[in-house]
Amino acid sequence: MTAYETVIGLETHIQLNTLTKIFCACKADSWEDAPNSNICPVCTGLPGVLPVLNERVVEKAVLLAEAMHAEVQPISYFDRKNYFYPDLPKGFQISQFDVPVALGGYLELPIPAAADPEGKGYVTRVRIHKLHIEEDAGKTKNDGNERQVDFNRCGVPLVEMVTEPDLRTADEAAQYLIRLRQLLRWIGISEADMEKGNLRCDANVSIRPVGATHLNEKTEIKNVNSIDSVREAIRKEVERQTREVEEGNSIKAWTLEWDQDAGVLRKMRSKETEADYRYFREPDLLPLHISEEWKTAILADFPERPLERKARFMQDYNLPEYDADILTLERALSDYFEATVKTYGGDSKKVSNWLMNDVLRMINEDHLDPAAMRLTPQYLAELLKLVDAGTINITTGKALLQQVQESGKAPMQLVEEQGLAQVSDDAAIRAVCEQIIAASPDEVAAYRGGKDSLMGWFVGQVMREMRGKADAKLAKEVLVELLK
Amino acid sequence: MSEKEQVITPEVFDHLVQLAALELDEEQADYLRRELNSQLSAIRELEAIQLDPETPLASHGVPYDGNNSPALREDVWQACEDVEAITRQAPQFEDGYLIVPDIPHTPLE
Amino acid sequence: MELCDLSAVEVRDLLLEKKVSAVEVLDACQARIDAVDGRPGTLEPGGETKEDAQRVHAFITRTPELARAQAEAVDKQIAAGEDSGPLAGIPFTVKDIFCVKDTPSTAASRILANFNAPYTATAVERLQAAGALMLGKVNLDEFTYGSSSESSAFQPSPRNPWDTTRVPGGSSGGSAASVAAGEAFLSLGTDTAGSIRQPAAFCGVVGLKPTYGRVSRYGLIAFGSSLDCPGPLARNAKDAALMLQAMAGPDPRDATAATLDVPDYLAALEKDIKGKRIGLSPDYFQITFPQADGAYSQQPVPEEMRAAVLHAADIYRALGAEIVEDVPMPNTRYGIPVYFVISRVEAASNLHRYDGVKYGYRTQQAVGELKDLYRKSRGEGFGLQPKLRILMGMYVSAAQYSEQYYRRALRVRTLIRRDFEEAFDPQGKYRLDALLTSTTPTSAFPIQDVYGDSVLMQYADQLTVPANHAGVPGISFPAGFGADGLPIGLQLLGPDYSEATLLQLTHAYEQASAGAEWRKKRPAVLEVR
Repeated sequence: MTAYETVIGLETHIQLNTLTKIFCACKADSWEDAPNSNICPVCTGLPGVLPVLNERVVEKAVLLAEAMHAEVQPISYFDRKNYFYPDLPKGFQISQFDVPVALGGYLELPIPAAADPEGKGYVTRVRIHKLHIEEDAGKTKNDGNERQVDFNRCGVPLVEMVTEPDLRTADEAAQYLIRLRQLLRWIGISEADMEKGNLRCDANVSIRPVGATHLNEKTEIKNVNSIDSVREAIRKEVERQTREVEEGNSIKAWTLEWDQDAGVLRKMRSKETEADYRYFREPDLLPLHISEEWKTAILADFPERPLERKARFMQDYNLPEYDADILTLERALSDYFEATVKTYGGDSKKVSNWLMNDVLRMINEDHLDPAAMRLTPQYLAELLKLVDAGTINITTGKALLQQVQESGKAPMQLVEEQGLAQVSDDAAIRAVCEQIIAASPDEVAAYRGGKDSLMGWFVGQVMREMRGKADAKLAKEVLVELLK
Repeated sequence: MSEKEQVITPEVFDHLVQLAALELDEEQADYLRRELNSQLSAIRELEAIQLDPETPLASHGVPYDGNNSPALREDVWQACEDVEAITRQAPQFEDGYLIVPDIPHTPLE
Repeated sequence: MELCDLSAVEVRDLLLEKKVSAVEVLDACQARIDAVDGRPGTLEPGGETKEDAQRVHAFITRTPELARAQAEAVDKQIAAGEDSGPLAGIPFTVKDIFCVKDTPSTAASRILANFNAPYTATAVERLQAAGALMLGKVNLDEFTYGSSSESSAFQPSPRNPWDTTRVPGGSSGGSAASVAAGEAFLSLGTDTAGSIRQPAAFCGVVGLKPTYGRVSRYGLIAFGSSLDCPGPLARNAKDAALMLQAMAGPDPRDATAATLDVPDYLAALEKDIKGKRIGLSPDYFQITFPQADGAYSQQPVPEEMRAAVLHAADIYRALGAEIVEDVPMPNTRYGIPVYFVISRVEAASNLHRYDGVKYGYRTQQAVGELKDLYRKSRGEGFGLQPKLRILMGMYVSAAQYSEQYYRRALRVRTLIRRDFEEAFDPQGKYRLDALLTSTTPTSAFPIQDVYGDSVLMQYADQLTVPANHAGVPGISFPAGFGADGLPIGLQLLGPDYSEATLLQLTHAYEQASAGAEWRKKRPAVLEVR
């Protein structure tokens, strides 16, 4: 039996998170709006209207191009893609065709062990073919024998990014989307929420015998709106193509639609009859010039990319890969970590532990933004130093995290206000120890009779009496001495 | 013009009519096809022109440069004053949606 | 001479001197419309009556209440000594290809007959802001697709006020006719291949196609988006200058509206034309057109057209201008074939949006699926000329033909542009300030004579269309009458943004020929009364 390999290319549509639409002053986000309420003459294609390009769209596209290592074109053009569909009010989509805003580039993709058939994990590089700017269409949905049309989404700015056919498994495709989503949020150009359609994906799928280098006829899967769906839809399609080929049938260039509810693929329209889009230059827009000066200004604050930062965290802070990966999932969290480490100056692994075990839980439970927490990196660093100095013990320290976050007060201030400082005074501890021993003749007898394990009980009594502030190590030393 | 010189044959014409989403009666179709062929023969004059392949495409006649090109739009929100004046134009508008007939899908066997 | 036959500038002065009121001016125009215009165009079938044949039929929609309210407001402002705007109290008409809020904006097509625009075009908005009074929307070729105004879905279509058996030209036929017949002082038209200049020439008025991008296209229902120019039709150069002044300039809603400062056009009129270099080109003294057998025939323009051009050249020479002869414009003849390609590709795309879903006409027939809704709505809603442009546009921009037709046409367009660049190059051989030509190869043709022959009709634009390809401005002005008693128009073409010079040269010609006998002639529709 022939073994097949899968060849996948992804076309992603990325909604940019500008305030307004690409060619008009309607706001871009309609998530909470009634249908057909966030519209104007321009985005509904009334007779006589003209598009005027939003400059922030260009800026965000340039940021994305840089993130993908793509080459921004000094001049690019807008073209009309002509076709009839009720969600496209002008009857053409303003897009870019032969000279798009950026060409080339790549995304490094670490594939985790769990997604590696050999169970080891590996890194693959997905090449980017091109990035172009275009406008989103509206939405239609079935209602009995009719179809309802909502134009709110018309004119939301999109970047369409097309990969080369470099992906080989459904898991790789899923990883691409995971890493792309991380990157989009990292550079702040898209909310990248697939459920909301901020990030949409079409997958071109074909199979070929292992070792072959040619590309076979492919099918295009549309309307997949979650990462799990992409994985599932590709798997199903690969199974179908394999079955067809083994039965001696040829693969036809179909467009398939993923039905999320039924978990099946449906055929949309055959590629042979697909309209000729009759692309031509959009005469209502001038060529898009992106000068070196403008590009430099846009990229002035361009951040370190997530995988670069992860590598640096491992290198500079001696973090295990697992820690570095989690701490760089989001840019704000990684900034938080780094700021804490710098202020703290101590063991960065300790910072990582506190962040991953305790702070991250607070962030997740209360949906906090690391950049806007009252428990600032400075306060966290101060708290860690208090623990290191023995001023408070670890238990107190962990309890303080929540208090700092809630009150916004400095850890030291809370320690003072509540008298939380650890008691390290030998005399004070000795007095309490004597008091406990005097009140517990049975336990003293048992301990002295050889039941060493009671030492823990004695320390616990001291701690309780001193409301947790006793230096436990010191208390134990005193008790051992007194019980001799 | 003889039949065989007609570039736009009835088949080509029918394809164009499909692409253009037009429904034509026979009389209209005859007129339109005749005029198309007649215009195409006028257009053929272009084929005889000696063209340097380096000749740029002129999407606009007037050149645009830094002096006369408008700036791009600032990302500032301005809501449309009268959305209803837009939706009121729709031939069929119900429950906030424009309504159109169904679009058939072919299920994948 | 009645109030409505004066020029806009004369009326403006009378208004400011409080010798007449805006309401009186408006009433004079309305009375003239009532007298000569006849019934407005309608979609209703029905033959033309004998009376129809003697009327102008410039209008599709009249907006008298709107105009009256505005006239009263202007009168109040003038009475109060407030600044009422440079066009205060001047009635004007708008080619019904511009959207005006809360008025039908039909494009003379059944497919938009019931469309009420929710917004106003920039050019109209600026004219209204300058105080001009909109009388209504005037007729045109459907979607501007023609050179006679006969293809309007709203019939009767406009007729030539000088001879109602003749067409007024087109597509801005209603605009030119309304200005010529004394119905309005000014009209807002559009020019994609000559649609302002050719009807201006046919109707004996001044028509200016500004440089592409000089006047915003926002609100102009698009035909050929890279060619369309809104512009004034007026009784003389001064009125046109006044009107252009109010409209020109950048517009944040049009990304192709040039951001250059607008000069003072009125001030420019009074400058001396001494030393101006005015060119004549042999390529504009002939027309080339395809014959039934596919061969091309070259014919000189009619002798009286040629004579009018040469006579005007003599006048300019006498005023101190230098006449430069034999300026080569070799690519002029390709203007029409190039236009057949570029304008159709843009038009087909621009007409995609009319589909019976969002606005305008939707078929009344029962339809099972969406595709049928499109095909029937478009089939019933569009007339023959839009259909023809859609189909041609589809053909020449199809992926497999685009290189052969569309992209080639864009290259030839560059050649046409270069002709002008060389002629106007200030360091070049010719260093022209303007090129002087006849506006049209013929005077106004009889109704029905050319209509239906889409190729012959298009060749009526041969002398005007190159300016649209090149983007340069052009003006047509009256220069007498032919043996048929119909107006002859001359055209001046200038470098980018040289409207001031074109207006100045036109004004100089008007001054020099002010006493000519032909200037006393009045349109036939006025004599009949």
